[in-house]
Amino acid sequence: MNPLHVALGLAASLLAAAPPPQSPLDGRWRAVLDLSGGALPFELALSRENNRLVAAICNGPKCADQAVVTQRGDSVVFDIADYAATIVAQRKGDSLSGTYRNVGRNGPRSIPFRASAGRWPRAVPPPALLGSWDAWYLTDQRRSPRVIQLTAGSEGLEGAVTSNTGDLGMFWGGGTVDSFSIARFDGVSVYILAGRLTGDTLRGVFHAGLRTQTRFVAVRSTGAPHLTAPTELTSADTINPFRFAFRDLEGRLVSQDDPRLRGKVVLVDIFGSWCVTCHEATPDLLELYRTYRPRGFEILGLGYEVTGDSAQDNPQIRRFRDKFAIPWILLHAGASVVEETAASLPQLRGFTAYPTTLFLGKDGRIREIYAGFRGPATGAQHAKQLEDYRRIIEALLTEVP
Amino acid sequence: MKAARLFLLGMVLAAPAPAQSPEVVGRERTEFAEWLATSAVSPWRAVVVRPIGPGLTLGPASADIPLVGIAAGRIGERGGRIVLSTGDREIGLSRGRVQTVEGWPLVVNGPPGRATLTVFGRGPVRGKSLSHYPYDPKLVFVVTLRPAANAGTQTLLSPDGVEAVAGNAGTVQVSLGGPSRTLQVKRLPGATADESELEIYFRDGTAGKGSYPAGRFVSLLPRPDGSYILDFNRARNPFCAYNTVYPCPAPWSGNNLPDAVKAGERYDGGGLEVKLP
Repeated sequence: MNPLHVALGLAASLLAAAPPPQSPLDGRWRAVLDLSGGALPFELALSRENNRLVAAICNGPKCADQAVVTQRGDSVVFDIADYAATIVAQRKGDSLSGTYRNVGRNGPRSIPFRASAGRWPRAVPPPALLGSWDAWYLTDQRRSPRVIQLTAGSEGLEGAVTSNTGDLGMFWGGGTVDSFSIARFDGVSVYILAGRLTGDTLRGVFHAGLRTQTRFVAVRSTGAPHLTAPTELTSADTINPFRFAFRDLEGRLVSQDDPRLRGKVVLVDIFGSWCVTCHEATPDLLELYRTYRPRGFEILGLGYEVTGDSAQDNPQIRRFRDKFAIPWILLHAGASVVEETAASLPQLRGFTAYPTTLFLGKDGRIREIYAGFRGPATGAQHAKQLEDYRRIIEALLTEVP
Repeated sequence: MKAARLFLLGMVLAAPAPAQSPEVVGRERTEFAEWLATSAVSPWRAVVVRPIGPGLTLGPASADIPLVGIAAGRIGERGGRIVLSTGDREIGLSRGRVQTVEGWPLVVNGPPGRATLTVFGRGPVRGKSLSHYPYDPKLVFVVTLRPAANAGTQTLLSPDGVEAVAGNAGTVQVSLGGPSRTLQVKRLPGATADESELEIYFRDGTAGKGSYPAGRFVSLLPRPDGSYILDFNRARNPFCAYNTVYPCPAPWSGNNLPDAVKAGERYDGGGLEVKLP
């Protein structure tokens, strides 16, 4: 079929309402959130699971299970429990229109939503823009560094945006010869990154939420470091053994003297079940665990959760544990506010990111700290980080205590 | 294939500016009114906002904050962390998040050392409503944000009375029938870490005579070409106008308009009565 016809057909089907009878909602829906600066495209994949209708939220080829779907008449509600968010929409034939909502500090945070049955067309990535770009975000005459990576993916252009404390997950979109637009919606993050190449400079706007727009300029990465290294953001008392005492999910107090940890090389994962990047990091930690545990390696997860109250938070940590079948010790360490986490770990200085990863030697002292995590979307940065982790663990395992 | 590419990009880049119509503004007002009427943390429901300081007692009649159903509790700050102790239970309270204790929704806000506790009532909201001036299309402006010469930051109160670090975003100019007026624009924290709001807190000729005496907030809405919409029909009251328990943001210097801006939210009394200086 002529692509133009596909495009026109899609546009028409977004606007026109088909008559009833209504088919089941199961299947793919191409959706957008209408931000002030443009439409954010994503897909919803609806399927049955234990007699419930559930929706995965997809950015290009990457989908994550997120929402439970309920229908009452023409009203369709997507309940995104992880982020206390909902999409409430009215169905007319093969289109849905409504509002995405969660709660901001000063009232509802709502963004118009619309969708129609079917998939987005596969977009072709712009070859001239692929690669790594050193960017500066410009806000009120202040600037902060980012690395933007654009890669050709199976369904179009894929991208990653990395700050000093990690990346925001995979973005997806398309482009033309000299411009691109990639987006991410995962239930709570609402982002579009769009730019155009003029000469050697990529200029554009990062859109967050309904109406926050941050300008950026970027040039091709030279290979020289543009971001602060993840090992230079947080420092620690490296003279004394790392000390902590938090309760596990059964309420037992666990400290640095626990026999499961003593004399081992320990990776301490400071995480939150609410933290998207922590979800991205966990499969890699599982692989490290499987590889090195027989040689005296252990992982300890310190969970910082939404309320700080174990009665409410522990079910969230259990859910996180069960999602990945995490075999290591998970403790409820407190509430997920940077200042509060820092106060609960007084041996760290400059705590700034979830996750933060500590490597302890067999003597229990902190040897390396990585703030943030470069997820799979960052490609080479992700690979390098894992390589660093392996190198550190190998070196610590060979030390004689 | 090129057409398909253009289509996707066009979807994203060439979307229309947010619709400016009485209907859209009406929908926003309805949604906000619904939130005020139904949210557990609606400013209409707040019963106490207090600095936590060296600590507060909760519960019996003799406590700093008497709350029926809470036997004896104490809330205090330890190394930046807010902890509520009731009996043998200790609960960490995260800033900006609701924690319900014996049916009382509690929210802690503010920076370490200057945290505040807000307690919300358990009953339904009664006898409260919003009122607005009629929609006036002449009070919708397209403005250019002129960057500030000094891009510093300062601590001030957000619409909800919570201390926030605000950036000097710059100024915009409008003419309300007379000479051109300059308004200061500040960048306030948004709903998530990546979001922010460009806000103008202004007072005008209607202050104390129809609108809230201390002033009203209005957000700048970005347009695709880099300019902004300043829609005075969207001017809204700070939370202190809804409820006397909230502290009131001090008027921003330079944002005192002599013109009467008969648009946006009205004030019919009932919140914190602020005398005009």
